[in-house]
Amino acid sequence: MEVTTQKNSNVTTHPSRKSSSPWTIARKKFLKNKLALTSLIFLLFVAIISILAPYITTADVTKVNIGQMSLTPSGDHWLGTDKSGRDVFTRLLYGGRISLLVGISCTLFVIFLGTLIGSIAGYFGGTVDGLLMRFTDFILNFPFLVFVIVLNAILFGKVNGLWVLIMTISVLSWGGIARIVRSKVLAEKENEYITAAISIGCSPAKVIIKHLLPNILSTIIVQATITFATMIVAETGLSFLGFGVPQEIPSWGNMLNSAVEPDVLQFKLWIWVPPALIITITILSINFIGEGLKDAFNPKSRR
Amino acid sequence: MLKYSLRRILGMIPMLFLISIVVFTLAKLMPGDSLSGEIDPTNTNPQYIAEMREKLGYNDPLPQQYLRWIGNFVQGDFGKSTRFKLEVSAVVGERLPNTLLLGLTSIVFTYILAFIMGSYAGRKPYTFGDNLIGGLNYLGLSIPSFIAGVFAIFLFSFTLGWFPSNGSVGIGLTDGTFEYWLSRLHHVLLPALVLGLLSTASYTQFLRNDIIENSRKDFVRTARAKGTPERKIYNVHILRNSIIPLITFLGFDLVAIISGAIITETIFTYPGLGQLFLQSVGTRDYPVLMTLTMLFSFLTLVGNLVADILYGVVDPRIRLD
Repeated sequence: MEVTTQKNSNVTTHPSRKSSSPWTIARKKFLKNKLALTSLIFLLFVAIISILAPYITTADVTKVNIGQMSLTPSGDHWLGTDKSGRDVFTRLLYGGRISLLVGISCTLFVIFLGTLIGSIAGYFGGTVDGLLMRFTDFILNFPFLVFVIVLNAILFGKVNGLWVLIMTISVLSWGGIARIVRSKVLAEKENEYITAAISIGCSPAKVIIKHLLPNILSTIIVQATITFATMIVAETGLSFLGFGVPQEIPSWGNMLNSAVEPDVLQFKLWIWVPPALIITITILSINFIGEGLKDAFNPKSRR
Repeated sequence: MLKYSLRRILGMIPMLFLISIVVFTLAKLMPGDSLSGEIDPTNTNPQYIAEMREKLGYNDPLPQQYLRWIGNFVQGDFGKSTRFKLEVSAVVGERLPNTLLLGLTSIVFTYILAFIMGSYAGRKPYTFGDNLIGGLNYLGLSIPSFIAGVFAIFLFSFTLGWFPSNGSVGIGLTDGTFEYWLSRLHHVLLPALVLGLLSTASYTQFLRNDIIENSRKDFVRTARAKGTPERKIYNVHILRNSIIPLITFLGFDLVAIISGAIITETIFTYPGLGQLFLQSVGTRDYPVLMTLTMLFSFLTLVGNLVADILYGVVDPRIRLD
């Protein structure tokens, strides 16, 4: 998100004032979309307070405090404490760090892999395309959840848990992006400017990076937003099941895990409702941003 | 069409072969004997393990081991569960009906709810009712199923007490009686609704948009000009055109139900395949785990195949060759 806004401001400083560039139009449309803008502000707010967590709360996230088990919300503990006596609000902030970190890392990996494979397959065509797309189909045919759990079970304990999770999720999720990027590249590479670039001797890498990718960037950005939401769902869902982020690290999914106990679910609302709400609202706002971006980049929509 | 379907089904075989190699590799990476389940994981006597390994052929070259495993697998011999001390096929077979019931109920509810909401919203677009349904849909698409499940249990099971929060059947009921089936249905309802939430939302949205789009087409104008009652236009002319594309989602539903069942069955402690899968990871019951992984992969493959073939059936414009 931040990357886009920066890019936009670069474009506007251009001296030509005759007609606005596609990026400027998109930015203006996006800023007019109140729902998307509110969502963006909310998301940034959550991200910032999560990053600043050590400065906002002084409570220790990991310390188990037997004397303060399952306290109701009060002045000392804004959202109460969980069954191990840890402050729920503090854990929510630190959990946001992990959940957002996993979400962003997975999104970056997935977009990178998907764009790389999709653009190579689309640009070269023929045998390369055939092979890469068969491979993509192969990856897409794996039931995602099943294989992430199995891979985690194998790798667990051998490598640092967080990165195992990020890697397994990313490796199994890039197929959809690759297909979309490929179809976009297939359509885009028929244009004359690509033929011109090839004819003046640009290497395939240069044609793809300098000429093709900037023109499909809007699609990639929209897909990245949707992927971000999916990845947060994947992380929190896996952690909720106990196969995601290692239990000792606070994450939104791990916090929600305690809702499995009927006692907590029924009587200790303050332990599970905050993470449940923040996950839902975060995903909703990411989806709103995605819709807003899709709308902003669509030249046909008038808002 | 038939030719295409046959070719696609044949095309599944290499895919299955590749998947089986992946599953075999994963099984080999797991500690202990994860394929036949003949070695007792609790017995750590090195001599016993070495003997059993020799006897079961774990010192053979890998391709040979693979061929033996896949040979047994194709013939229906999936090994033995280390936890239940039973044949894996028996353990899976016991849970399978529960998951089938859950999946079927979920699909039935998805269709009914999506049909009602979608046709209402499509008939009266941009009204209060449509916006309400649209809002609910957005929530349904955004809220992850495990959060929906947790809220559903809290609201409907604990606060309102309408549905049981766990299990698949009430205690003390004899198999086959009417009460028994009623109790099973009562238990499966809430998990099925949660499982179908996402597809209900996407079906509804699709149906609404399709009805609105169709209602602007020429054949509707012609029908109106002839004096066909509005009710008939919507119920017969438009609905017939809008419902058919929905069938294509059926294949994806199959895929969604597999992953969905793992989460939903765990939340509702519903004794189906998804719960068995997670339990087998937790208890390191690898033969069950590997069989289920194969089964889920196979079903996903079938689901994607069904989706592709149905696309061709529904829309003849899609060229299949």
